Amino acid sequence: MTTYTICIFTENTIGLLNRITIIFTRRRINIESLTVSETERKGVSRFTIVIKHESREEVEKLVRQIRKIVEVMAVFGYLNEEIVYNEIALFKVSTPLGSKPLDVETINQQYKAWVVYWGLDYVVIEKTGNDTEIFEFFGYIKQYDILEFVRSGRVAVGKTEKGLVEYLPESEWAYYL
Amino acid sequence: MEAIASIAPEVIETTPSVSHTVPKLISGSEALMMGLVAEGVDTIFGYPGGAIMPVYDALYDYQDRINHILVRHEQGAGHAAQGYARMQSRAGVCLVTSGPGATNLVTAIADALIDSTPMVCIVGQVAKRLLGTDAFQEADVMGVTMPITKWNYQITNADEVPEILSKAFYIAQSGRPGPVLIDMTKSAQLELMTKPFVYERCQSIISYRPRRIPKQEQVEAAARLINNAKRPYVLVGHGVQIAKAEDELRLFVEKTGIPVATTLLGQSTISTDHPLYVGWLGMHGNYGPNVMTDQADVIIAIGMRFDDRVTGDASKYIKQAKVVHIEIDPSEIDKIIRADAPVVGDAKEALKALTALVQPNDHTIWRNEFRKYDTIEYEQITLPELTSTEGKIRMAEVIDMLSKKTNGEAVLVTDVGQHQMMASRYYQFRRPNSLVTSGGMGTMGFALPAAFGAQVGAPDRQIVAIIGDGCFQMTLQELGTIVQNKQPVKAIILNNNFLGMVRQWQQLFHERRYSFVELQNPDFITIARGFGMDGQTCEKRESLSDALDTMLNHDGPFLLEVIVEKEENVFPMVPAGASVAQIRLK
Ligand SMILES: Cc1ncc(C[n+]2csc(CCOP(=O)(O)OP(=O)(O)O)c2C)c(N)n1
Repeated sequence: MTTYTICIFTENTIGLLNRITIIFTRRRINIESLTVSETERKGVSRFTIVIKHESREEVEKLVRQIRKIVEVMAVFGYLNEEIVYNEIALFKVSTPLGSKPLDVETINQQYKAWVVYWGLDYVVIEKTGNDTEIFEFFGYIKQYDILEFVRSGRVAVGKTEKGLVEYLPESEWAYYL
Repeated sequence: MEAIASIAPEVIETTPSVSHTVPKLISGSEALMMGLVAEGVDTIFGYPGGAIMPVYDALYDYQDRINHILVRHEQGAGHAAQGYARMQSRAGVCLVTSGPGATNLVTAIADALIDSTPMVCIVGQVAKRLLGTDAFQEADVMGVTMPITKWNYQITNADEVPEILSKAFYIAQSGRPGPVLIDMTKSAQLELMTKPFVYERCQSIISYRPRRIPKQEQVEAAARLINNAKRPYVLVGHGVQIAKAEDELRLFVEKTGIPVATTLLGQSTISTDHPLYVGWLGMHGNYGPNVMTDQADVIIAIGMRFDDRVTGDASKYIKQAKVVHIEIDPSEIDKIIRADAPVVGDAKEALKALTALVQPNDHTIWRNEFRKYDTIEYEQITLPELTSTEGKIRMAEVIDMLSKKTNGEAVLVTDVGQHQMMASRYYQFRRPNSLVTSGGMGTMGFALPAAFGAQVGAPDRQIVAIIGDGCFQMTLQELGTIVQNKQPVKAIILNNNFLGMVRQWQQLFHERRYSFVELQNPDFITIARGFGMDGQTCEKRESLSDALDTMLNHDGPFLLEVIVEKEENVFPMVPAGASVAQIRLK
């Protein structure tokens, strides 16, 4: 299984999320994570969808099907080494009076994580990184009582010169800029 | 965007001619009517109901410009619009109410999507404030139709009407055509626009740009493959007729001397008596074209999508051949079969460009190889089917006789089942655009309403529907529509008292366990008469010719029921999951 990150640039219209995810559902491809936000261009949204698949060919077909959606402007598929990507995770850790104190220095220096909120008897720690880094930190912090843990979907930008490695022969990205 | 100057006079009325006059503001429904007129829509197939009544009210004033046809079931509206669209090569328009009206239309929408038929469906929806409340006749039509439309949109405010309508027509009719749906809330139908109505025909959408003109490098690569081919073979799909590229196809194959086969929906693209035509492909297609697929060294697939009914087991399909795939929809390239030379573009443009680059070639020996198989098929199947003297009339005889009596010039609209395959096998198509059938979906009940729509769309052509006794009972209520609209549709029921195609499969693959396929049929002719349509039953071989004459010469619609052999099978046949070379003759 290879991880693919699919970036989809779309017009920002109601119902599009549905139209896009139907394409995955219909091909029985599980979505590992999904992030949507508006881009630097007004009215243009960017979907970042992570999937695992054993066949690059199937992923290319999937990309073409997505490109077919009228509101989709361009679709790009990436392998992990072609992108810079991150997720963000929040850990709510219990710190009642008298419990083992947090080693903030290790958290900061070794794990590059930050306490972003102090509650009465808990703290919220933010950790950004790829999933391995996040789970490494999880392994460390679980010696404390984790009350809540949440991880975002992946966000990614391409590394290549054009900024994009794209599967679609037909798309003319420059056109939309 | 190019503004249309010469649209309905109302547009001028509503645009202030003197700067300080307040323009008359119009409702969303009226805007819809004006938009339809601006798009040149002259016919709508529809059925009213609560959530679309404001539009119907506006339509009342437009009766002189837009012919609304009241069908008997929304599925009928959809299929009729499909038939109309196929004849007119532009979008058929449906108008239905919310909830059940919309869900009844769903089958036809899905059918239109898979067969690339342009259609604009306008559906009523509950008022905006009721959306999502499980209101009376509220269905999530956007959700339901998302996977079966090329595009859909919910209009919740009257001002959106002109832009969305023009987009809808543009999307439905351009690129690879397909159905689009506009879900319009009752409130948007009723409320007034806040600005003057201006209609601009959509010419392009930033995120949607179908490529018509293929890239020259792609055409050159394809031409190189074709010029070096020893045993090239052209497979023609529906895309060629959609692109109206029949002449370009003919010029291309005549220049190169390459044999041509068609898919089911590609039939009639090239006349069946053309010397380069070798027959049709697929599960029940001709023997030679299927077997020879495995011997070609270059396959030139044009406007076809390698449906599994064409490829059989795709993993064993044309492994030996290089593939040139000409397609307007890039997502079809490499979807089923890897293309060595994809050409993305409109079939007409691609064929023009390609013909300029290909060299004349002598492929006579290769072409003649097809003829061996033709002879086998003719002797083992065709001849016995056409000349049997015992038992009941056979489907083949009916179609063959019809073909002769109409000089192969009628438009056949077929339903789904054995009769569909027999119609395709035995009708000798002479004119382009002469077969309307539900290919990709295989929707029973398609033919009667589609034949009606085709007749409305092509009043000058002879339309003959070929329908099974099972299929007929799915949409027979549209007899009423045909009669009310005085359309001279001829319909032939090939009655074998069975769901014949299913019975055939049960016989061949389920040890003759005929599980729920026998029908107790009504008296079809009495039913036709009840609707005010003339008809007749033909049971004897000797009277078939007269019966067909009576039907064809009848002034107005006519239903001919022919009692045919009960347990007849359609051969050749590629069993599901087999490779095309394993096509069976019995
Ligand atoms: C709506 C729908 N339901 C079921 C089927 C499955 N089906 C395909 S052919 C067929 C039998 C058709 O019977 P009939 O109309 O009598 O035609 P025949 O095959 O006998 O010519 C059936 C049930 C279908 N294609 N469409």
